[in-house]
Amino acid sequence: MTSAPESTGTVARPEILTAVLANPTRYLFFTGKGGVGKTSCAAATAIALADAGRRVLIVSTDPASNLAEVFAMGDVTGSAPVAVPGVVSLAVVNIDPAAAAAHYRERVVGPYRGVLPADAVASIEEELSGSCTVEVAAFNEFVTLLTDPAVAATYDHVVFDTAPTGHTLRLLALPAAWTGFLATNTAGVTCVGPVSALGQAQESYAGALATLRDPAVTTMILVTRPEASALAEAARAAHELRTLAMTQQRLIVNGVLAAGTSADVVALARAGREADALAALAPELAHVLSVDTVPLLARAPLGVAGLRAALAPAPPDAPLGAPLAAVTGAPGAATTAPATTGRDVPGVALRDVVDAVAAAGPGLVLTMGKGGVGKTTVAAAIALALADRGLPVSLTTTDPAAHVDDVLPDPPANLTITRIDPVAETARHTAHVLATAGSHLDAAARDLLAEDLRSPCTEEVAVFHAFARTIADAAGRYVVIDTAPTGHTLLLLQSSAAFARQGQSGADAPAATLFGSLSDPEHTRILLVALAEATPVHEAQALQADLARAGLAPFTWVVDSSLAATATTHPVLRARADQESRWLAEIAASSPRPPAVIGWLPEVPTGAAGLRQLTAPPTAAPATTARG
Amino acid sequence: MVTVEVFDPAMCCTTGVCGTDVDPVLARFAADLDWLAAQGVAIERATLAQEPGKFVANELVRAALDAVGTAALPAVVVDGALKSTGAYPARDQLSAWAGVAPVTTLAGLPAAMSALPMAGGCCGGGSC
Repeated sequence: MTSAPESTGTVARPEILTAVLANPTRYLFFTGKGGVGKTSCAAATAIALADAGRRVLIVSTDPASNLAEVFAMGDVTGSAPVAVPGVVSLAVVNIDPAAAAAHYRERVVGPYRGVLPADAVASIEEELSGSCTVEVAAFNEFVTLLTDPAVAATYDHVVFDTAPTGHTLRLLALPAAWTGFLATNTAGVTCVGPVSALGQAQESYAGALATLRDPAVTTMILVTRPEASALAEAARAAHELRTLAMTQQRLIVNGVLAAGTSADVVALARAGREADALAALAPELAHVLSVDTVPLLARAPLGVAGLRAALAPAPPDAPLGAPLAAVTGAPGAATTAPATTGRDVPGVALRDVVDAVAAAGPGLVLTMGKGGVGKTTVAAAIALALADRGLPVSLTTTDPAAHVDDVLPDPPANLTITRIDPVAETARHTAHVLATAGSHLDAAARDLLAEDLRSPCTEEVAVFHAFARTIADAAGRYVVIDTAPTGHTLLLLQSSAAFARQGQSGADAPAATLFGSLSDPEHTRILLVALAEATPVHEAQALQADLARAGLAPFTWVVDSSLAATATTHPVLRARADQESRWLAEIAASSPRPPAVIGWLPEVPTGAAGLRQLTAPPTAAPATTARG
Repeated sequence: MVTVEVFDPAMCCTTGVCGTDVDPVLARFAADLDWLAAQGVAIERATLAQEPGKFVANELVRAALDAVGTAALPAVVVDGALKSTGAYPARDQLSAWAGVAPVTTLAGLPAAMSALPMAGGCCGGGSC
């Protein structure tokens, strides 16, 4: 390595992420929902540390990692760290837990191909295809990095652009997982199988956990956006990590808009929404050691130079126009901007989806998507639009009661809102299992079973049952649900013994009926809700692929909060809007029908009047601002 | 000593934790095996996804798999003889095969009711 080329671009004194960079621990974990800018923040941190003379390794475990893209590198897959060009002493390693899980699966199954019948081989493969196997495979890679003396000797800092889940951490912390219970148990557990089979020594796990909990060496960095839903998610993560004794936490609020002196209505409204969200910070976030605020950039920083520029932004007077000019024309030339906005976005209106649902007669509408993409709002807007047509509608939601009241406190008489509490449903299911299956276990085994029941599948199964009961009660109505089971859950239910016996047992009749309805495209329409950004699109594509495993396909995609569908002329927002086109095109290619595109709204759409903006007829004055 | 070998389908949990409901047959069967073990019977239990080698090594089980696929599971082998396929046997069947005096408290429970067919594991179509 030579230090010649990068000296000019080195960040002398970063102006963002200053708290994160002030006194960094050896291990830095960045955690946050998809699309919050976790990878960019991790990459910028790694570059700043390397530029300060530290030896840094940055680790990604995202199978669809954009770390290579962020660093403008080619392929960085492979187990060995690769030097990042242009940065002295920064290396990147991209771990693919899905590949690690697949490798493990093949090691188990391979010898039996052609030996056992095909359906037996397939059942083994499916068994080893769950999220727990992948999760544990990812954690295994963390363990190696956290406990390998060679890593500690080679690098001053290891930056992870992801963090292990609470479920994995709790599971591995349970002593019962290591007492030989696995080899002899008759109770059986879901996630511990992969733990044992993937095979790290118990001491490695214990050492890794101790490292994660040591505030002198590990910091958990929560990355979020200045939006209420994203901040709520960060608060939840902060709380979970605290309960796991990982108390060294810092917060990054990424993408704060500087509206400045702009007269742009969208920009002013957005800045107002952000300020409101940040003013109402949850108490769980009061414990964080620091809050770094990162301004919204015209484009996600790409390449080492782009990341360095983001770390030390030029004063706000000069810079924004320059990179933007090439994209949108001069900021002053606002007269040309509206022509390329709003109505030119490819896709249909949400009301077109409502038309199709209404015409098909009573049935199910499920909105599906990762947290924070707006699936509750979309579900509520569709339910309200159906009700406004005089149809009998039930809106069923898993959102917290307070949120539902916020979204639609004033439903019309022909719209019934039912709330399902996933926590209560899961608790009921868990108590039932522990009282029956757990009754003959010793304390350690019961702990293990109880943790197993906290896996995401358990909640999905419990909620599925609650939905089934609710839907059975709503026969003849239009039922809109703000979540949908994953393909994994459906496969799991499909093959369960209880379903195989459905003819003999009345207990699961509603679930069996719902199961039948889901596969009838005339009766059920699944809407995949996403944002026109890289990570949310990739996550939604993964959900679609997962559904396909269970033989289901979404009716269409719904793109929420599209800046491209507004007429903003604010330079930063306009540039972000233009970058949406790439993702809108990808969505259009993935969606079975032209996607419904909802423009970003100046106000959080709450209440009947607010929600009706989402399905309003296109009579609003063209090319002014966003509807509303 | 009598040996009872159970060959479970590729399920992630023998309790049915992941299914639509906890399967009482699975919990009951697990308890039955505990009871048999307490009577001095050697119990060996293998799950397809975790120990496929044992399914291949046992010629009777392998032949049953070749004939009908995973519908053959669960399979129960007692002292080398294949006693049942595709269902979890009731306690009185188990005790008869193992030559253990049946427990009187279960006298009223018809075998047909508790020997329900298993189409797959509780999570057979996808582990959690």
